[in-house]
Amino acid sequence: MGHFRLLLQVAFRNLFTSKINLLIGGIIFFGTLLVVVGGALMDSMDSAMSRSIIGSIAGHIQVYSDDSKDPLALYGSMSGEPDLAALDDFSQLKPFLEKHPNVRTVVPLGTSSAIITSGNTVDLTLSRLRELYKTRDDAGETPALRENIDSVKGHVRQMVELMAAQTAKSEQELGGGANKDPAEVEALARARTDAFWDTFEQDPYGALELLENRIAPQIPDGDMLELRYAGTDLDAFQRTFDRMEIVDGQAVPTGQRGMLLSKLFYEEFLKLKSALRMDHIKQQRELNQKTIATDPELQRWVKENQTQTREIIFQLDPLKTREMVSRLQKLLGTQEAGLEPLLTRFFTLDDDNFDTRYAQFYAELAPLLELYRLRMGDTLTITAFTRTGYMQSANVKVYGTYQFKGLEKSAMAGALSLMDLMSFRDLYGYLTADKKAELAAIQKQSGLTALNREQAEEALFGEDSGVLVAEAASTDIDDRAAFLGAEETLKRDDLLQRVYSQQEIEQGVALSAAVMLKDPEQLEQTMAELRQAAKDAGLKLRVVSWQEAAGIIGQFVLLGKLVLYFAVFIIFVVALVIINNAMMMATLQRVREVGTMRAIGAQRSFVLGMVLVETLVLGLVFGAAGSLVGSGFMAWLHSTGIPAGNEALYFFFSGPRLFPSLSASNLVAAFVIVLGVSAISTLYPAFLATRVSPLQAMQTDE
Amino acid sequence: MNPATPQSPIVSIANVTKDYTLGKVVVPALRGVDLEVHAGEFISIAGPSGSGKTTLLNLIGCVDTATGGVVRVAGQDTKQLTERQLTHLRLHTIGFIFQSFNLVQVLSVFQNVEFPLLLQRKLDKAQRRERVMQLLEQVGLASHAKHRPNELSGGQRQRVAVARALVTRPQLVLADEPTANLDSVTGQNIIDLMKELNQKEGTTFIFSTHDAKVMSHANAVVRLADGKFLDRISAAEASRAMASGGH
Repeated sequence: MGHFRLLLQVAFRNLFTSKINLLIGGIIFFGTLLVVVGGALMDSMDSAMSRSIIGSIAGHIQVYSDDSKDPLALYGSMSGEPDLAALDDFSQLKPFLEKHPNVRTVVPLGTSSAIITSGNTVDLTLSRLRELYKTRDDAGETPALRENIDSVKGHVRQMVELMAAQTAKSEQELGGGANKDPAEVEALARARTDAFWDTFEQDPYGALELLENRIAPQIPDGDMLELRYAGTDLDAFQRTFDRMEIVDGQAVPTGQRGMLLSKLFYEEFLKLKSALRMDHIKQQRELNQKTIATDPELQRWVKENQTQTREIIFQLDPLKTREMVSRLQKLLGTQEAGLEPLLTRFFTLDDDNFDTRYAQFYAELAPLLELYRLRMGDTLTITAFTRTGYMQSANVKVYGTYQFKGLEKSAMAGALSLMDLMSFRDLYGYLTADKKAELAAIQKQSGLTALNREQAEEALFGEDSGVLVAEAASTDIDDRAAFLGAEETLKRDDLLQRVYSQQEIEQGVALSAAVMLKDPEQLEQTMAELRQAAKDAGLKLRVVSWQEAAGIIGQFVLLGKLVLYFAVFIIFVVALVIINNAMMMATLQRVREVGTMRAIGAQRSFVLGMVLVETLVLGLVFGAAGSLVGSGFMAWLHSTGIPAGNEALYFFFSGPRLFPSLSASNLVAAFVIVLGVSAISTLYPAFLATRVSPLQAMQTDE
Repeated sequence: MNPATPQSPIVSIANVTKDYTLGKVVVPALRGVDLEVHAGEFISIAGPSGSGKTTLLNLIGCVDTATGGVVRVAGQDTKQLTERQLTHLRLHTIGFIFQSFNLVQVLSVFQNVEFPLLLQRKLDKAQRRERVMQLLEQVGLASHAKHRPNELSGGQRQRVAVARALVTRPQLVLADEPTANLDSVTGQNIIDLMKELNQKEGTTFIFSTHDAKVMSHANAVVRLADGKFLDRISAAEASRAMASGGH
């Protein structure tokens, strides 16, 4: 015991005698700190991200068809939507999965994307006017309706005036409108005449057509938006992913068709741009402490709000315009009469007036505006490419918006809007049973059409190609023809009213099934068992973990870990070399001392032990210091949290802040690495030390 | 006052040779030396530089092995022993005093003296403490037990080294030029100390020196020249020889 105490004593005493030891200590300290802090951060981020992925869409396990060409990528992959084979009947798969004792719930899923067009303000206003006229035709005119029509008409007329003014302005600025379509110029001129508006009531539809076809296209701000959506059993989805919450509107009633837009999508793409930019500025100022004075991005947003006021101006009918002008005059304390200069002045923002203006915007201006281009309860026409490549449209009613608690700002978690499974199947190009029946009926009716078409083709291509055309036409069901015919029915309103039974929802196509487990710890085992069960049952299924299902995203933390471990590796390789060198030097410097010990009677094993213990003590002392500082740092981070500076991080942090925690394994890993490196790097110097001859002690200083 | 001469010598050297190889040249350091040292003797080895004093001490001290001949220490033929056994022999039988003191700088005076006892693992903590303090008492450094070597003067350091050499109660203490790094008064003190211990404890001392004054304390002076045994004379004869101009 005294032996070992002596070794320790020598080691401790030697620790601070050499500056090189301090250097080695510093490296070990830094390395340990990195292992502890980096490891803990990565682990925390990994678990946070897994919570994000598992809790938002993936579940613990995803099951999909083994016939799929691409691996499942719930968040999309580099090349767009993955090509998955469909699971033909989810109602068969569900009981199979639920048989496993560790499976809690199974949710059918199918992700896809579509283009939606959110028409420009002119389009929207015109279609509202058209609706009003339709209502009048159907239900007769009432004073309230008349007033409404006149108000919208006033609004449209004002827009036309504004457009004319803007065209004139841009012509002036850009120098001449030589290459303008004369028909457009003429149409605009006509729409500004009193005669046009006086005779509007005589042929409202004719007048509307002129406005819709000739005037509206002159405003190029209609947005094409890509909408990613997941078709699912909405009730099961809500039950399984309990972080999901409805923000605006309401949940889709059980069994009905409908859609829940992602709150983030709704905000980012459907909100009035000026308001959105105000929100962004506020968020950047408050969350990231940025200032308008210093941040170019904030300055850009201010600038855009100053110049891009048209979206607001177009929204306002004459009455509201007057109201807004008077409100702005009051707010700004000015007599300026033009709305555009007033808005520009209002949006002249700096760090001092921002908070006031932000409050004023929402209190005074927003009530006069449509803040969103889509309201809850509106019907959205979604146009998607089906699997076989043709266009398919469906009208889906938007019941509300949803978000995942803690992931409100994450673009990743908010990337998917939710849709009922029925509409998803329609868009995906799969037919439900009643749809097939309906189609069969249409098919019968359209038999004549088909024949006519065949004849027409034959007439067109002549006798020679007859056989070819006949062949093509004789296939059982021409998908394309069927869907062309079906398109109208898909948009029919009664579909939106239908209530589907749970059985109907489940009997049919899904692309994958999300499986939530009772005990997530047994993920690997459960996956293996499900695979085996599928094999035994002859089902061609792929069973993947949430990490694989997430595609590239799932690899992100893995990548981070690799980078970290590589950095740690490099640091410790450097440490290895330096420790090795330093110990060699130390050994050489201490040849006399070691020789003396050997002469006095210390065995080689003692010398070996001495050098090793010394490095181990060095490693332990500085490793412990590194761990301690690292633990302290992590404790501090754990209490304050790391703010997710940008939106991508919300997903990886599973919320606005990551509260990383330090696990014992991080500390153990750090210690094992440090001790291992110190021991390995000292082996050779220690060996050399054992070779020191006791004769070295006898050398005199002569 | 000669102590009683025991039957068997503690060191017995017969026709010992030692060659060093410097590159391709073989340099003979000892060319056949015979020597017997008996327990309780206080012997000085004298001779000019390069005469083989240190080599002889190294062979006796079991830190080196002879090229030819037999070296017996405490009855054991060192050639027959393994490296481990030689170390063991050094630890339990021999004490070393070095020219440059060779204390472990990072250990205190007490710890330096305790060091061989720890290696021996024979005594418990209390016993070690008693033994070490007794030795420090004898060399007059009990009050410096907690000091570090670099806080001591050269003479004090060498006293610590003496204490360290004697703490295991070795049969034999070897000292290679123990006073060479000390001024004459201090050196004198060290020799006095060694002599005192030799007489009190009966410990055998073999030391090499240039210094005639130091030599004069020895029971006998073994003179070497060119790696060969010259003669074994009394201290008085040696002083005379030195005074007459020889080495």
